[in-house]
Amino acid sequence: MSPQTYASKVRVQDRYKVVGFISSGTYGRVYKAVSRHGDTREFAIKKFKPDKEGEIIQYTGISQSACREMALCSELSHPNVIHLVEIMLEEKCIFMVFEYAEHDLLQIIHHHTQPSRRAIPAQMIKSILFQLLNGLLYLHTNWVLHRDLKPANIMVTGEGVVKIGDLGLARLFYKPLNSLYNGDKVVVTIWYRAPELLLGSRHYTPAVDLWAVGCIFAELLALRPIFKGEEAKMDSKKTVPFQRNQMQKIVDILGAPTKEKWPGLVSQPEYHSMQALAATMHSRGSKPPGLEGWYNQTIKNAGYHSSSSPGHEGFALLSALLEYDPSKRLTAREALQHPYFTSDMSRISMNCFEGTRMDYPHRRVSQDDNDIRTASLPGTKRSGLPDDSLISQPAKRLKEG
Amino acid sequence: MAGNFWTSTQHLHWQFSKPGLAEIRRKLEQEDRALVQQYPLPDRRLLSIYFYHQIGKLGKRLTIRQQALATAQVYIRRFYTKVEIRRTNPYLVLVTALYLACKMEECPQHIRLVVAEARNIWPDFISSDTSKLGECEFFLISEMRSQLIIHQPYRTLLTLHSSFSMTQDEINLAWSVINDHYLTDLPLLYPPHVIAVAAIFLAVVLKPAQASLHGSNGSAAAPTSIAQAMTGTPNRYAQQFPATNTQQIGSSGAAPQNKVQYLVNWLAESDVDMEAVIDCTQEIISLYEVWEQYNDKVCKEQITRFVKARGLDK
Repeated sequence: MSPQTYASKVRVQDRYKVVGFISSGTYGRVYKAVSRHGDTREFAIKKFKPDKEGEIIQYTGISQSACREMALCSELSHPNVIHLVEIMLEEKCIFMVFEYAEHDLLQIIHHHTQPSRRAIPAQMIKSILFQLLNGLLYLHTNWVLHRDLKPANIMVTGEGVVKIGDLGLARLFYKPLNSLYNGDKVVVTIWYRAPELLLGSRHYTPAVDLWAVGCIFAELLALRPIFKGEEAKMDSKKTVPFQRNQMQKIVDILGAPTKEKWPGLVSQPEYHSMQALAATMHSRGSKPPGLEGWYNQTIKNAGYHSSSSPGHEGFALLSALLEYDPSKRLTAREALQHPYFTSDMSRISMNCFEGTRMDYPHRRVSQDDNDIRTASLPGTKRSGLPDDSLISQPAKRLKEG
Repeated sequence: MAGNFWTSTQHLHWQFSKPGLAEIRRKLEQEDRALVQQYPLPDRRLLSIYFYHQIGKLGKRLTIRQQALATAQVYIRRFYTKVEIRRTNPYLVLVTALYLACKMEECPQHIRLVVAEARNIWPDFISSDTSKLGECEFFLISEMRSQLIIHQPYRTLLTLHSSFSMTQDEINLAWSVINDHYLTDLPLLYPPHVIAVAAIFLAVVLKPAQASLHGSNGSAAAPTSIAQAMTGTPNRYAQQFPATNTQQIGSSGAAPQNKVQYLVNWLAESDVDMEAVIDCTQEIISLYEVWEQYNDKVCKEQITRFVKARGLDK
């Protein structure tokens, strides 16, 4: 062996026992594991897909998104951000070992729709949002944009602690060498994508993550995505199309944005497409219900008792998050100081399950592929998380049951 | 974390005391004593100058910004606190560090392009097989424990320069000093803001002749003037302020005396570790002194000897 041949000093197999397969995505696969050395915790090991040339796995250079995720996760430390235990580089593969979280918001929302719809308790929603914003404030204070917040990426532990996960698209936003737009042309699963991104903004800000929080809040209340648009595909020239359908879904509820309320609207690259969309709506005479109409209907459908309803404060927070103008949209810090939280601060638990008697199912762990060393076995594709290389593909939604 | 230097991995895992760093290197050399004795190498700073010139060639071909070059230099320095240099092909390590730094500094370059350009510069040392670079990347990341986010003094300089009403020349000079500090151990010894303050201090207070300092590649390619201007000055810098002040008369910028006074007051009132700032200025000055002995050919030959003899280029 030549002195420069890379050999890992520690081996995944020596330190962890894989107990099952959790999910796969464009990035690779996630396994559930336990320690072989007496650590009683459980772990989720994310294995990045190695590149292959034919059947032989080759070193081809680590993808930029993997580099970012490895570097950012190594720096981050906050109770509401998923904790990285260690990273191992072995046999041309990268293994990121995370703390294990039994649930995620997508799975929790899904559980509330099966077999029949039962609203998520209002106190639980409040706790989830508070913890989510707390983790997001930490990320933003540290100049990290998440860029891909969605229910599937928000983990919840068995103890009800919310953990922001999957920083595969996250990046630092101070003094970028290239504009943030250049690196990856499209970010954020389309349903959670902020209007300024849909309108082609190049200088986006932490406000994009707050829009996604608004969408998640709405989804926790309605048990379905609030703006469920269809993604327009990139054409052969790789130009990014105007996401008309997604923008339409937003306008259908909120009404069209106006330059009076959002002065920056006129300088958005897709301003004219937006005007055309608004004109069509106007000529059809369709009148959006407004967010308040949507909210009241949703609260009514959910059947919250007046004593335990998210109430008017809930609406006020939601509308301040789903604010068209990114400069007026609440920041994570402002959101945490919103009356929705501060009016009964003492009742916000750091265990989102406190006071509920729901029994959420454990994460599905399959036994098809327990060998972390083989990457060839087929797995159930759970959620295709966008990667820099795959940004043109629409996000896949969880298909369970 | 990225927003807070004091909780960053750079502070927690990659800042050493001088004796601590010396001990790490002593142990590393001891493990390979025969190898170390068989292949002598120049002063570490001279080697760093050589590396910088080499990496600069590649940076120029790929038009890579200074910030990524700086990050690459920190990676190289960190890596060689963990791995004996004579066990590696330094050219491959250099290229890999730059390739990785470009990804982390958001100006990624394709691996094939990097390898192709590197082969144009060092055909005898870089294989056309891109997987060699990919493998070396694993080595680098693993030794750095995936701690790849580097806090650089440039940001502090950009934040502070207006408070001291620095002229463009002074900013350029401070920028060059920061570029040059990567040739020393300072990135492993002090926080970036201390280094930035030292660079501002050198640029504003001591203000050496600025000739050729911010030349084509932004580094002190001809450091003689700065060394001459600075030699001996920083030790008891406080007593020398009056003298320095008088020299400032007639220099560019508004009210230079006030500027210097303001900087001195600011430093006195700030929490910045003054001893550390003084040590940084001394390290920079001694770098410029050592630079006088720099000989490109000697560095090249000594590296070639062990790389070729041990087949590390294969």
